[in-house]
Amino acid sequence: MREKPLVDLSQYLPILLFLGVALAISGAFVVLPMIVNRLTGTAKPNPDKLAEYECGFPAFEDSRAQFDVRFYLVAILFIVFDLEAAFLYPWAVSLGGIGLTGWASMMLFLVELGIGFAYAWKKGALDWE
Amino acid sequence: MIQLIAFYLFAVMVVGSAALTIFARNPVHSVLWLILAFFNAAGLMLLAGAEFIAMLLIIVYVGAVAVLFLFVVMMLDIDFAELRSGFARYAPLGVLLIVVLAAEMIFAVGAWSAGSLALSQRIAPTPDEIPNIQALGTLIYTRYLFIFEAAGLVLLVAMIGAIVLTHRARGGVRVQNVWQQNKRRPQDAVRNINQPVGQGVEL
Amino acid sequence: MTEWFQSLIGHGLGWFVATLILILMISLPLMLAVAMVIYGDRKIWAAMALRRGPNVVGPFGVLQSFADGLKVFLQEVIIPSAANKGLFLIAPIITFTVAQLAWAVIPFGKHMVLANINVGLLYILAISSIGVYGIIIAGWASNSKYPFYSAMRAAAQMVSYEVSIGFVLVTVVLWSGTFNLSGIVEAQRAHVFGIINGFGFNPLLFPMAVVFLISAMAETGRAPFDLTEAESELVAGYQTEYSSMVFALYWLGEYANVLLMCALNAVLFWGGWLPPIDWAPLYHIPGIVWLFIKVLAFFFVFSWVKATVPRYRYDQLMRLGWKIFLPLSLFWVFLVSGYLMITRYGV
Repeated sequence: MREKPLVDLSQYLPILLFLGVALAISGAFVVLPMIVNRLTGTAKPNPDKLAEYECGFPAFEDSRAQFDVRFYLVAILFIVFDLEAAFLYPWAVSLGGIGLTGWASMMLFLVELGIGFAYAWKKGALDWE
Repeated sequence: MIQLIAFYLFAVMVVGSAALTIFARNPVHSVLWLILAFFNAAGLMLLAGAEFIAMLLIIVYVGAVAVLFLFVVMMLDIDFAELRSGFARYAPLGVLLIVVLAAEMIFAVGAWSAGSLALSQRIAPTPDEIPNIQALGTLIYTRYLFIFEAAGLVLLVAMIGAIVLTHRARGGVRVQNVWQQNKRRPQDAVRNINQPVGQGVEL
Repeated sequence: MTEWFQSLIGHGLGWFVATLILILMISLPLMLAVAMVIYGDRKIWAAMALRRGPNVVGPFGVLQSFADGLKVFLQEVIIPSAANKGLFLIAPIITFTVAQLAWAVIPFGKHMVLANINVGLLYILAISSIGVYGIIIAGWASNSKYPFYSAMRAAAQMVSYEVSIGFVLVTVVLWSGTFNLSGIVEAQRAHVFGIINGFGFNPLLFPMAVVFLISAMAETGRAPFDLTEAESELVAGYQTEYSSMVFALYWLGEYANVLLMCALNAVLFWGGWLPPIDWAPLYHIPGIVWLFIKVLAFFFVFSWVKATVPRYRYDQLMRLGWKIFLPLSLFWVFLVSGYLMITRYGV
């Protein structure tokens, strides 16, 4: 085992605590009104009130219908570019230390992705008719 | 002390939400449990000192991959009851996978308790003073350059593959050409005429 | 403060109490700020439309948001019978939690930051990428058509603009050499001509500041990118089935996110808590005041845009994200890194 931890975990502890506090506050905002309107008697549900919204008439069909595959393509392209960005982050902070080799290797990487991007553009994958 | 509590908290949550991912009846619930598992895995990474990997786990897996999963289970409207009926057919394959995973786990524990693979024998020692994102950066782009470029190629293939598989050009849509619209000037489209009374307009 | 508490009630407990107070010092003023900013937004919007805006509750109507808050708090919480009840209630909790959590790493002053982590900027990216779940889950759990369409739109939109935000952040990090937000602010000290503080004043980074501002509007779903709640198409978007305080949580979360994006604009490009000019007398004004001035200025810009720019169409929105911002920011990564290689690292 190492004596010294790799990162200063004491800086992350407030975030964990903040997570707890934020969850508690948001949770309270959801639960408290429900309790309050039980007590004040505003909670008077009836079937029409609890029906889903559909411009004044009962819904015809299941709301969870099939969706356009383009959303799926957007999500995949996003993963690819997100990963590319993920490779850029360590590169951006260490550019001073890795010199021309590091810079050139990233440029080659960007060209590889640029080809993919040009292909997507050409194929019309970025179009949203 | 707090680290230990945090470790057990995250570890229990990871295992628990992973189990719920498998056992949840509703596929959307499964994905949401999976997201919780990713989250806690990021917490574990953080405890291990890999803050960059932890953040990346959330950005890439929670922020991108799980969104795709959700899109798929929400949008494609797969009949999961029907899929489940094929359980008997895939059972042998499942058993095989269980055996492989179990063997891997036994080997991992065995290798770990043998203790010969000490972390100090790594090729590049972890530097102490700089943040680990920088330490990673100095290695990826120089020492592991070829692997890095290969990763780029994998991403390229993934992108092209996704487009080939999912992109369908639609017929009969008139696409807006923004360039052309911006290029258009009033004199191309509007004509001022001095219209005499009592005559029709010549178009 | 931490030391004082530790001397009073012991090491661990003292730390706990002090940190808890610090957290509440961020969280509670944030909620107050959101209430005031909603009022400000309505006032600015009204003024630009030659209306009065809220002017009844309190002097000039400043208490309007609190009155609204009390009203929604007392209203009935309606959970649609077809909804997935648990997820339906968890979704707004996620949205509001995430909106608060990102503030943990924002530096309000020289040492005024709750969690001074090395990868602060990545933390913000990570947190904001979780924000999309509050919307997707709400849309799906409502089990109603319009929220579902809206959630899909919102997800695709947020995801598209996150890409260019990622690349813009890389240009900032290239220049500052760190992901620590305090470090990024410090790197902007005397950045231009040795006297002006702020990356935004650098002609090479100014275009990225603009891209970031516009992407921030799209990411928070503000007008002109508010297609997720385009009322003529989608009723009220993913919030359609929500009511009472649960609905208001989305409202709070949205404005907290807008404020966060304003703060990020200020911190990343316009010097954060530094005064605009590196001149000693200006440092007598506390840094937090400078930050607030900048945040409010950006909030005014957000309201201004909301009041004046018509809503985008969905294909135009996607085109702007994928075909303009993405290649532009990618090219800028090349440009900035090349410039730095030549000037700073001497190739």
